[in-house]
Amino acid sequence: MDCIKKKVNEELAAGWIGSNKACAYHPCHFTGQDCTFCYCPFYPCNDTTFGNELTGKRGNKVWACSDCLFIHRPEVGKFVIARAKELGIEQAGDPRFMDIFKEAKERYYKRGRALMVVGATSDAGKSVTVAAICRILHSRGYLVAPFKSQNMSLNSKVTRNGSEIAMIQTLQATAAGLKNPDHHMNPILLKPKKDTVSQVIVCGKPYADYDVEGYYSEFVPGPGREIVREHIEFLKDRYDYVIMEGAGSPAEINIYDVDIANMRAAEIADADVILVVNVEWGGAYAYALGTVELIPEGDRKRIKGIILNNVRGNPENMRSGADKLEEMLGIPVIGIVPHADVVLPNEDSVSLRGVRMKGKGKSVIGVVRFPRIANFTDLDPLFLEDVSIVFVQGPEDLEGVDAVLLPGTKNTVADFLWMRETGIEAKLKELWKKVPIVGICGGYQMMGRVLHDNGIEGGVEQDIEALGFFDNETSFGEYKKVILQDEGHMLVGDKGEVTGYELHMGITDVKEEPMFIIENRYVSGPENEGSVRESELTFGTYMHGVFDKPAFRRYFLSFVKHDGKPVERREVEDYDAILNENLDKLAKVFEDNMDMDALLRIMGARE
Amino acid sequence: MKVLFLGTSSGAGKTTVCAMVCRRLAQLGKGPVPFKGSNLSLNSYATADGGEIGIGQAFQSWAAGVEATSDMNPVLLKPAGNGVIQLVLDGKPYRDVTKAAPMEREEVMDHVTAALSRLESEHGIVVCEGSGSPAELNLLDRDVANTGLMRAAHVPAILVADIDRGGVFAAIYGTWRLVPEDVRPLLKGFVINRFRGDRAILKSGIERMEELTGMRCLGILPYEFLRFPEEDSLSFAEGKLEGEDPRAAFLSNLDEMVQHAVESGFDFDALLEIAGSGSSSRGHPEGADLGIGREHRVHGDRRAVHQIKVGVGAEAQGAHRVLYGPLGHIVRGP
Repeated sequence: MDCIKKKVNEELAAGWIGSNKACAYHPCHFTGQDCTFCYCPFYPCNDTTFGNELTGKRGNKVWACSDCLFIHRPEVGKFVIARAKELGIEQAGDPRFMDIFKEAKERYYKRGRALMVVGATSDAGKSVTVAAICRILHSRGYLVAPFKSQNMSLNSKVTRNGSEIAMIQTLQATAAGLKNPDHHMNPILLKPKKDTVSQVIVCGKPYADYDVEGYYSEFVPGPGREIVREHIEFLKDRYDYVIMEGAGSPAEINIYDVDIANMRAAEIADADVILVVNVEWGGAYAYALGTVELIPEGDRKRIKGIILNNVRGNPENMRSGADKLEEMLGIPVIGIVPHADVVLPNEDSVSLRGVRMKGKGKSVIGVVRFPRIANFTDLDPLFLEDVSIVFVQGPEDLEGVDAVLLPGTKNTVADFLWMRETGIEAKLKELWKKVPIVGICGGYQMMGRVLHDNGIEGGVEQDIEALGFFDNETSFGEYKKVILQDEGHMLVGDKGEVTGYELHMGITDVKEEPMFIIENRYVSGPENEGSVRESELTFGTYMHGVFDKPAFRRYFLSFVKHDGKPVERREVEDYDAILNENLDKLAKVFEDNMDMDALLRIMGARE
Repeated sequence: MKVLFLGTSSGAGKTTVCAMVCRRLAQLGKGPVPFKGSNLSLNSYATADGGEIGIGQAFQSWAAGVEATSDMNPVLLKPAGNGVIQLVLDGKPYRDVTKAAPMEREEVMDHVTAALSRLESEHGIVVCEGSGSPAELNLLDRDVANTGLMRAAHVPAILVADIDRGGVFAAIYGTWRLVPEDVRPLLKGFVINRFRGDRAILKSGIERMEELTGMRCLGILPYEFLRFPEEDSLSFAEGKLEGEDPRAAFLSNLDEMVQHAVESGFDFDALLEIAGSGSSSRGHPEGADLGIGREHRVHGDRRAVHQIKVGVGAEAQGAHRVLYGPLGHIVRGP
């Protein structure tokens, strides 16, 4: 407490500083934040809108408010420091701070509103629409949070607090200018394990496995609804807008009453709704009309606008049909948005359906297309380089590749056995030491000598002799998951910076030279990570996102030769910077093709 | 007898479902023949009677066990680039379609109905495929292959909806609602395509759909893709067919699909009943030699090879370049 007081005293003496771009941690909350009070002068305010009381290890009460952004709002920081000066306050803990707090809250605090984006189908463009709206509102100075109550995806990321949430919500948070996406933004994550069974992640932690029937009959009516309510309320307390994303279609009449991802969530959040339809496949008017009309009347009233998305060709051609649709439904078509040519990560493996090659580069990397491939956004930064990717589904696809990548999987044992069955395993053994091979997460586990499974991964107890490219052994023993955000640097190559995140079942006994040293900013002690046998062109790591920073990407590609020639060097690019540029581009496409007045009116940003 | 399969979107699985239905009806000795009123595709096939048709109907003719003819696809629109589209009418290049000189429905509709009626008189049942979605509000007044055909030839229709994308009930209901009222009574049934998981979960939704629209559900087809012939399966040299016969491979794949459809309880009886509810129904040579599995001999000028892209319209999972002979036989891979 004294430490905080000392800091606040320093802050009072320094006066208004706005955004402190010189700070190594800047921006630690959101782009454009006010840093005048890095330490809050109101602490502990005991206002439960902004925080809550926790019980410490020794039974002591602690006020926790690390998710509160109020004091970092530019208008609030400025007001508080000016008021303190006016009143001649020079010391932290001055009781008059409570008056200032009350006044600031009265002036600048307004509880957030929610808007929901639903789609007529999966892949309708919900996620990008949410991302675009987040960016549009962020650039107008609002504090915005994305939200998806229930996401089914095998592409997840780890938050600063060690929670696992869907990758797409972290991307939307980036669009909103937020630095620390958290499990509030995606409290329920479903990760498909088998055809009808999913691992359910709640608040960023593994909760249980459910089949479809069990999920809808037990989980949803049980804890499900309450979880959704709690996190929507949490975000509405702290942000100006919560932009919610639906899941699949909101008009699945066979499961309507148990669907907590769409209109039920909108009701809980008291949100207006925008319907997005992907025009590319045709039938868009029918999908739009059918979706609206199959939703029961009470919920239907929430739908305030329709966006026809992903138009290829002239958007004007859609207008006459849109007018008829408006007339039939009494709901305006607020946007006819052309296909946005942006590079953003894909959410579902549906996007990989039928895709056999990607990229235009000369060097060819064979990526084993596991049936349960996970976190394949790992590949995206590779397209910044002079490489292309072939998705390997059989040994013949490995013919002539210049390198091999074994990506992550939701089920290491089952997918390894699949590789054995298809003959990919045998072909990989042939290629070993001839071309570079890198494994990430599940792929890395397979590169070891043995997979010990007590049945939790593959269904039966067995020890499987794996690829044996490393001497490592991996054990799947308990229903426990490693969830970590990593920052560190390479122990090989140019010793450059690496970042990423770990998400895995199974623990590996590593008997190889490490590839990275991890020095997490928020977690204690440096630790070795990964395995490398440079002379044998063999590399492995648990770290997803390992290609995002240029250092490892460059290092790995330096071993890749196409027709004896190395991969052409391109200017070093940071994937995060490229994502940001593309988010701007995306937002612009939406702004240019939407009735922004109508959108802002729906949002309540323009009355 | 005739029946039209309409998709609630592109890529809903019309081409495949039509091929599957052709195959099954051929097995049952019903004398099927494929038909698509109007086809927008780069991928064409040269028929034995010297005409050019969309490749999808050629594959479907293999499935039906009949020789492909230009009647099976009387209107073929081939994008030629720069906004110019070549209109192939009754198998022969007719004229270039441009923004200034668009294709008029009146110009082609008689050719379409005439071809359909020839097929109907020569075969037991015409399995028609629609084009895109029949509910494009901005295109309704120009439609040829969907509501245009229903109106002109009183063809009863069945919707094919892709459940893999989600929103399947909205797609079926919305399409039904947007099909113009005068032809809506011809919408008799729907098929849910590409389903994975436990079918029981769909029951209440299907019942509601049947109740709301009066259409009946003919079946829920499992998630699978028909593998159309593609370059990987071909190995040719000097114009001589070698290696695996793509037609045989295609048909055996299709047989599996038929098997799955039958096992899943697909209602072919209801399909025949619907097909018989159309305006005119003529006799057909019941049980005639349908030539299934018959080798089609290559004849004609092999030198006049033209290069086209193979794959089936929007359904193609990536285009593959293959060389076709003038008689529709693959003579050389790239």
